Amino acid sequence: MKYLILGASAAGINAAKTLRKLDKDGSITIISIDDKVYSRCMLHLYIGKKRSIDRLSFVEEYFFEKNNINWIKGRRATKIEPEKKRVVLDDGSSHEYDKLLIATGSSAVVPPVENLREGKNVFTLRNLEDAIAIDKLADGSERAVIIGGGLIGIDVAVELMDRGLKVDIVEMGPNILPMQLDKRSANVYERELKKRGAGIFTNVLAQKGVLDSNGNIVEVVLKDGTSLSADMVIVAAGVRANADFIEGTNIKFDRGIVVNERCETDEEDIYAAGDVCANKPGIWPLAVEEGITAAYNMAGLERKIENSFGFKNSMSFYGIPTISIGNPNIDDEDYQIDIYDDGKVYKKVVHKDGIIYGAIFQRDISYAGVFTKIIAEKIPIDTIDKNIFKIGYGDFFNINSKGEFEFTKREYGLKII
Amino acid sequence: MRRIMIDRYKCEACLGCVLGCMVEHNKKGKSIYDLDLEDMANESRNHVEVDYENRPAPIICRHCEDPECVTTCMSGAMTKNEETGLVEYDKDKCASCFMCVMSCPYGVLKADRINNEVIMKCDMCSNREVPRCVEFCPTRALYMVEVAR
Repeated sequence: MKYLILGASAAGINAAKTLRKLDKDGSITIISIDDKVYSRCMLHLYIGKKRSIDRLSFVEEYFFEKNNINWIKGRRATKIEPEKKRVVLDDGSSHEYDKLLIATGSSAVVPPVENLREGKNVFTLRNLEDAIAIDKLADGSERAVIIGGGLIGIDVAVELMDRGLKVDIVEMGPNILPMQLDKRSANVYERELKKRGAGIFTNVLAQKGVLDSNGNIVEVVLKDGTSLSADMVIVAAGVRANADFIEGTNIKFDRGIVVNERCETDEEDIYAAGDVCANKPGIWPLAVEEGITAAYNMAGLERKIENSFGFKNSMSFYGIPTISIGNPNIDDEDYQIDIYDDGKVYKKVVHKDGIIYGAIFQRDISYAGVFTKIIAEKIPIDTIDKNIFKIGYGDFFNINSKGEFEFTKREYGLKII
Repeated sequence: MRRIMIDRYKCEACLGCVLGCMVEHNKKGKSIYDLDLEDMANESRNHVEVDYENRPAPIICRHCEDPECVTTCMSGAMTKNEETGLVEYDKDKCASCFMCVMSCPYGVLKADRINNEVIMKCDMCSNREVPRCVEFCPTRALYMVEVAR
């Protein structure tokens, strides 16, 4: 069997690893534009000089040799020819496959703000090359403007400030991290950032960049007229799937490649996994799960994505950890909101009729994984008669003969022991 | 592989397993007499919960066959050892992103309470024949089993 994988990040690498586990003799080839394996979630740590490039890797040493995987680096696919079962690369070479996995991820987009796409000192943070470029320019810079106060934006802000830059953050939402946090929990981070000199501008969009004669943006003007001077601009405002090369195939695309629960596309023997796929948040755990699932099906073993719940995020800035699950910002009086707040530890659970829809845990995140499970699978809690913040796996405890934990089935509205 | 079996009905919430775990992972020595309970650095990797009917349940890492903490780990710190079956944690690789804490469906994991940096993860007392929590359990609510994978 000849397996071909496009992409060498979370989905691609985990697919290759799983394929090797399932098929000892098959030929496995990975083709990627990346010439190193690195965790995109750690790129900001390179900017902050906290990790060297080697320490951004998420695989063991000699991963490719140990797993007998052929790796073609620095190349991208330009065309897929399903009828010939082959992929054409940008150097004109072509590679045949029996099973193909598309795991090419996504690219950061720069919004259509005047001069933003033209500015030479405007960066996104998606690839190692971006991190290297930001690191280089940060050396001679004093001020950075960050457009987008989401997880990536704040990650970069923290690291640049750590290097002594004055940072201004522009976020269109009512607070930073609006997808994950509520006002109360976001304020904690806003305060920490401001304490260190950051400017935080919320509820506002960037209107234009002002270019100097060298083509660098020296000023970012916001819609409310505020003007922020800049030596560099970081844009962290969304992504787009890397799938131009599927043109001419029957693979369905709707802001991402459309796959079924086995990670199959509409084209026979072609699978897709990770951020290149449609209709879900691009988070690391899902990409890995999809890579593994695709690998099983490519190897001829049935496996379905059990849970594609992707509305979960964890973060930690300035030693303050937070976990956000589901939608903690539901604004509807039919929902009950329970809050624990002692001034430091903050916990919020949003529920309705015994089903939890969203939660935030800040400063005390211990054992919060149970809530991820309960929220993702809508496991009813209405028969658990205790403080909602004290709910734990103990309330669902069930151990099988192999010593594995399982969840006790709890029927909605019934008490089952 | 070997697993720590739990008979929750024998558990009397004495917290012997919690103490045992702290004793084993105490940097100042591995005897109970070395354990300073006022030292915040002494933390256990297991815990005992009390459910909605006040019944205790020891919560100890299962070293799952399909471990969510490994799937979710973006730094390569959490790995499944295919030979021993153990889910191993390398704190030097860990980037303290806490996705494992967020993803363990059984709520086994937490960060250390002093720095919020290191994950409190069961290592099955690596070199010991019998893990300390099992050894410390006076009611045999905890015992070792060999299970097929």
